[in-house]
Amino acid sequence: MSELKPWLKLIFARPGRLLAGGLLLLAALLSGLGLLSLSGWFITETALVGILLAAGLPATINLYVPGSGIRFFAVSRTVSRYFERLYNHDTVLRLLTDIRVALFRKLAAAGRNQRHELSGAQWLSRLTNDVDALDTLYLRLIAPAALAALVTLLLFGLSALLFDLWIATLIAIILVAAFLVATLAVYLQTATLASRQSDQQEALRTAVIEHLEGFAEITAAGRTGQHGDWLLGQASEASAEQVKADSRMGWYQAGSHLLINLSAVFALWAGFELFHSGAISGPVLVLLPIALLGLAEVYGMLPEAFGKLGATRASAARLNRDCRNPDPGNNASTVVSLPEPLALSVHDLTIKHSDNAPLFTDFNLQVKVGERVGILGQSGSGKSSLADVFTGLLAPTQGAVSARPCAYLTQETVLFEDTLRANLLLGAPDASDAELWRTLEVVDLAERFSTEPDQLDTWLGSSGSRLSGGEARRVALARVLINPAPVLILDEPFTGVDATTRARIARQIDALLEGRTVISLAHGPEALPGTDRIIQVGG
Amino acid sequence: MTAPVPDQRSVRRWLSGLTRGNRHWIQGTVVAGTLAGVATIVQMGFLAKIVHLGVVEKEPASGLVPLFIGLIVAVIFRALAQGVQTHLAARCSEQVRHTARNQIHQHWRKSGPVILGQDSAGSLAREWIDHVDALHGYFARFLPQMVLSLIVPLLILILVFYLDWLAGIFLLLSAPLIPIFMALVGMGAEKLNQQHFEIISRLSGQFLDKVRGLTTLQLFGQTENAATVIQQRSDQYRRITLKTLRVAFLSSAVLEFFASVAIAVIAIYIGFGLLGYISYGPSPDLTLFSGLLILLLAPEFFQPLRTLSQHYHDRAEALGAGAEILARLSEESPRRPTRAACSQNGTQRTTNTIKLDAVSLAFRPEHSVLNKVSLDIAKGDIVALTGPSGGGKSTLLHLLAGFLVPDSGSIRIFGNPPGAAPFGWLGQGRFFVQGTWADNLRLTSPGVSDAVIEQALRIVGLGPLLDSRNEGIYSKVSEGGQGLSGGQARRLSLARIFVADYDLILLDEPTAGLDRESERIVLEALRELTRRGKTLIYSTHHQSLLALAKRHLVVRDGEVNDV
Repeated sequence: MSELKPWLKLIFARPGRLLAGGLLLLAALLSGLGLLSLSGWFITETALVGILLAAGLPATINLYVPGSGIRFFAVSRTVSRYFERLYNHDTVLRLLTDIRVALFRKLAAAGRNQRHELSGAQWLSRLTNDVDALDTLYLRLIAPAALAALVTLLLFGLSALLFDLWIATLIAIILVAAFLVATLAVYLQTATLASRQSDQQEALRTAVIEHLEGFAEITAAGRTGQHGDWLLGQASEASAEQVKADSRMGWYQAGSHLLINLSAVFALWAGFELFHSGAISGPVLVLLPIALLGLAEVYGMLPEAFGKLGATRASAARLNRDCRNPDPGNNASTVVSLPEPLALSVHDLTIKHSDNAPLFTDFNLQVKVGERVGILGQSGSGKSSLADVFTGLLAPTQGAVSARPCAYLTQETVLFEDTLRANLLLGAPDASDAELWRTLEVVDLAERFSTEPDQLDTWLGSSGSRLSGGEARRVALARVLINPAPVLILDEPFTGVDATTRARIARQIDALLEGRTVISLAHGPEALPGTDRIIQVGG
Repeated sequence: MTAPVPDQRSVRRWLSGLTRGNRHWIQGTVVAGTLAGVATIVQMGFLAKIVHLGVVEKEPASGLVPLFIGLIVAVIFRALAQGVQTHLAARCSEQVRHTARNQIHQHWRKSGPVILGQDSAGSLAREWIDHVDALHGYFARFLPQMVLSLIVPLLILILVFYLDWLAGIFLLLSAPLIPIFMALVGMGAEKLNQQHFEIISRLSGQFLDKVRGLTTLQLFGQTENAATVIQQRSDQYRRITLKTLRVAFLSSAVLEFFASVAIAVIAIYIGFGLLGYISYGPSPDLTLFSGLLILLLAPEFFQPLRTLSQHYHDRAEALGAGAEILARLSEESPRRPTRAACSQNGTQRTTNTIKLDAVSLAFRPEHSVLNKVSLDIAKGDIVALTGPSGGGKSTLLHLLAGFLVPDSGSIRIFGNPPGAAPFGWLGQGRFFVQGTWADNLRLTSPGVSDAVIEQALRIVGLGPLLDSRNEGIYSKVSEGGQGLSGGQARRLSLARIFVADYDLILLDEPTAGLDRESERIVLEALRELTRRGKTLIYSTHHQSLLALAKRHLVVRDGEVNDV
């Protein structure tokens, strides 16, 4: 369970709230038990008194206390249930915030390298599912299990008080068995299935995406039918496993319910002995079995929650893995102080991705302040890795890198689901509107946005979906240009931008960046802004 | 591209259509649930009888043994029925999901690659996997429970009426309220779910947006600000959500209230009846047995409804997911003939030409991409298509491939409709599957030999890469999370064409976006294909590819002309 530890710590950072929610839940459960068992007691008592009265014998009964008790429980069950739900949903939403913020901070602290391996839509959708699994850990699993144990303990005390300790112990043994069947047994029987399920799901998703990406080729080869059948087969296998897990869960739930019922039967049987010996009254004999029957509701939520615990643990383990800190001292670069005229210095650099052949060995480069350097390389030559190393995103396998602060335009265009202003301000949080407009002018977008009704507050949509590819690229470029860092690293700055616009922007950048150092990377010379010298890498 | 969101009625119709072949599973689930309900009634009957005989009649314990045995049998039977119920429910959902996936896949095949390509593979996969899985709770829990929440209370009501009609009336009074409860619970739960899902998905969306751009945030040193923003927005949403929850939870509180009050009223009525305080109606005949049984059955009367209200979110989830699936399924698919249909009317003689006869296609009414194009291409020809972007080169290739169907006119590929026989296709996208090199080539040509695969990979210049891997064609394509570069992926696709023996090969900009090395290799490979006598039709801008062609067609302004 160690994988859950960091998340449990987060959840238990609100002990007061969890306790209050738990007490409300307890009140609701006890009101339900109280209502039924008190009613059972009352009916038996009245039946016995009624027989005496009918026989003309003197008998008295206090109607006021049980009557008002029944009314109280009826109301308190409703009220406590309502407030319990409201309060605990509030808690869940708070935990959701806590967990997301903590996760975000952890991911930010984690090395970019492992995140990079995982990036992409699939990883993101997996991340959502994993976080969701943890969000409900408290309300689904922790609170119900703790309360079920507590209520069981209370019933043990009640049996010992009303019947005797020996009977109470036997009842408790049956109840503990029921509890274990509903929790531990379900967990043990479904853990492997549940943790395998998400891997299976992942593999299935990869297969479906591949099928769709290759749909044209597969259609052309006349094999959509066969390949589709294969996919359906994979999906069926996954859901067959789920059926297995579900029905195991169902059987254990039924088993736990059976044990609860048997405990009530036993209580009734054992109670008769005491009743005949005069140790307990008829009404008390009825009260305990009915209270025990009510436990079914208390235990009812457990099997499903524990059936999912295996998957929750797997989720937590994956999140922990995603957040692990970068391996320290992996032949990492030794930062040497940068002599005055240099903006960037790279010495005997080796870059290598895990077991693949190194992309670069003994790579050396020195860039002076104010210099414009272009780096050309074919696709797959490792240009972007080189830029990542310059900016410290990627640790080199060997060698030393030292650079003045850099602003880096990554090859991938990243825009946030926010306004144009918010996206640009990331580059320079204190920039004035005038500065923003001036930078937009440089990338030839000022006219485009000045005609928008919301101007700088134009909503860019998810990942800048309301812009064309070239426009999005230029917004990202503007964000880097507005950053005051002395060195700019631009990886394929003009993706999706047509030749005329490209030439115009390149000229304007030259003027804007007077005196600053620019290192630009591209697949061909036409995709570079102005340069003083060009370096060819790879092949 | 998504069609208008279908209304709830049609979604429900689609959902119930899914059960058509699987009705016996649902019926089985309901029967098992009903049996569990009957066992519960019997269990409570034994319990009440035992208490009555033991407490009132002072029967010794030994005399109660048969009743205790009956009680235990009822309890065990109840557990068995419950177990069977969940098992059947899970099987039902499995079947239904299989049916739904099949339907979606059929639709994909009908739509063809061009239409499918308009949506991201990720979101289509989400529909196929996650949305279909979201139907699970509806079929496994909600649907059977809806029937059970009518049957079981009705059985209990009949028994209670038999025992004491006045108590029966108390329950009955709440019975007409049941549909009202259901509506109340439904409306509340529905609103709650809508709100909740919306908020949760919006929050997830914002969270993921920030995670996606984490590197960018780091580069600008803005991660801490972003974390604060996530926190503030979450908090803001929480406050809004709680306001609606306050109201939404009221509806289930009403159900809870009625259930509690009904139990309380019945308990007090029975108590007073047993005391002999009520001389009206059936009350004087109440015994401990009948009184206790009625009390024990009262919560069971409401339990199915409470369970139903817990499962209500399953319904909302299924309706939400179903609406998206149905929107996809009801997208107008082009009248693309299926392969089966092709072979039926494929009685034409095999010819040696590709023939286009007055082919027209317009995506928008006023703007036709191709206008009455007639064209003959001989077998073994090498045709380059050029023209301005958006001029219809790709559309022409899609028509030849059968991915699109012309508005008018006819296309014959060597006498057959397009797509009737397998052909080679090289698109601009990258496509390879996780697996070995061999897996990748056998995907489209199962049963080719190892030697053929290796040869094809060498032709497309992947030999050196292959040699650097330990297990040759049986090593994984992407090792160490590295994947393939765009050029390498394109060449892998080309290798698929080499292992198959297609007569016709269509290529969409085969060298676009490639570095010089890849470009040279692709060109050489195409030259090899022409030497094998294949018919090649490709769109291109590159001079070297134009030089390779025997025929050069310009696609412009809806016309196709030889240069």
